[in-house]
Amino acid sequence: MSTLNVANITDGTDTVPTGYVVNGSAKAWVNFNGTGTIAIRDSLNVSSLTDNDVGYYTVSSTNSFNNSNYSTSVTSNREVSTNYPITQHAIELGTGYVLVLTVRYDNGGFVDSNLVFVQNFGDLA
Amino acid sequence: MIAHLWDRLADAKARLDPVQSKYRVLFENPADPEAPAAVLVPDPNFMAAALAGDVLPPIDTYIRDQSVPDGQPKEHPYAEPVGAMTEEEAIEYLVMKDISPSIWRDYNGNRTIMKIVPVELIPSDRSFRNAWKINQAEQEIAA
Repeated sequence: MSTLNVANITDGTDTVPTGYVVNGSAKAWVNFNGTGTIAIRDSLNVSSLTDNDVGYYTVSSTNSFNNSNYSTSVTSNREVSTNYPITQHAIELGTGYVLVLTVRYDNGGFVDSNLVFVQNFGDLA
Repeated sequence: MIAHLWDRLADAKARLDPVQSKYRVLFENPADPEAPAAVLVPDPNFMAAALAGDVLPPIDTYIRDQSVPDGQPKEHPYAEPVGAMTEEEAIEYLVMKDISPSIWRDYNGNRTIMKIVPVELIPSDRSFRNAWKINQAEQEIAA
């Protein structure tokens, strides 16, 4: 594996420090189906997904983060059978995992979604 | 010089086809007996890396890193990678990495609180998901 050691990246017109790209890239992400027999469609730097209960999941990273102050973003589809909107919550961050909830907007009940996306940004261990 | 784990994972994702495991790990938390059984799903890219070898660090490094405080240097990203595993070995690795030792190592009760099962035994009907428990008689999950 070769390494490019450069301070800036340019397309000939615009130039940005390499740190913009390194710091702004997701260090872990996953796309999974939270309905039926839940399954991961694709990912980067994820070791497992745990189905804890209806709408309640743990996403574990293979390469942990340096501390628990990283940022995560969780999104999902609506509930397929009812078309109700779902809100998404990251309720706990550990260096190696994120606990995720998907919740129906109208009544606050936990609900499964067929499309759930989690992206983590921050400094790796 | 050993490449950082994240670089090895990115490289493995680019060159290896993902592997959907035939297994799932069921477990219950003895500290919360009312909670339903959880189901651990191995990641397909993780499984591909484990089966190919030379990507993942030794499991001992993760276990030692669990006691490293936030923000302090961790061992696992820089450790010499291990060789190829079988699927069963990869699942055991995941159990030790992603499930609390209070479940796979420290529990001394009579109840079966962890089970590795073929994926076909996991119900696809989630109507009673909040009542799933590991069936003690059949050693299979009961919905």
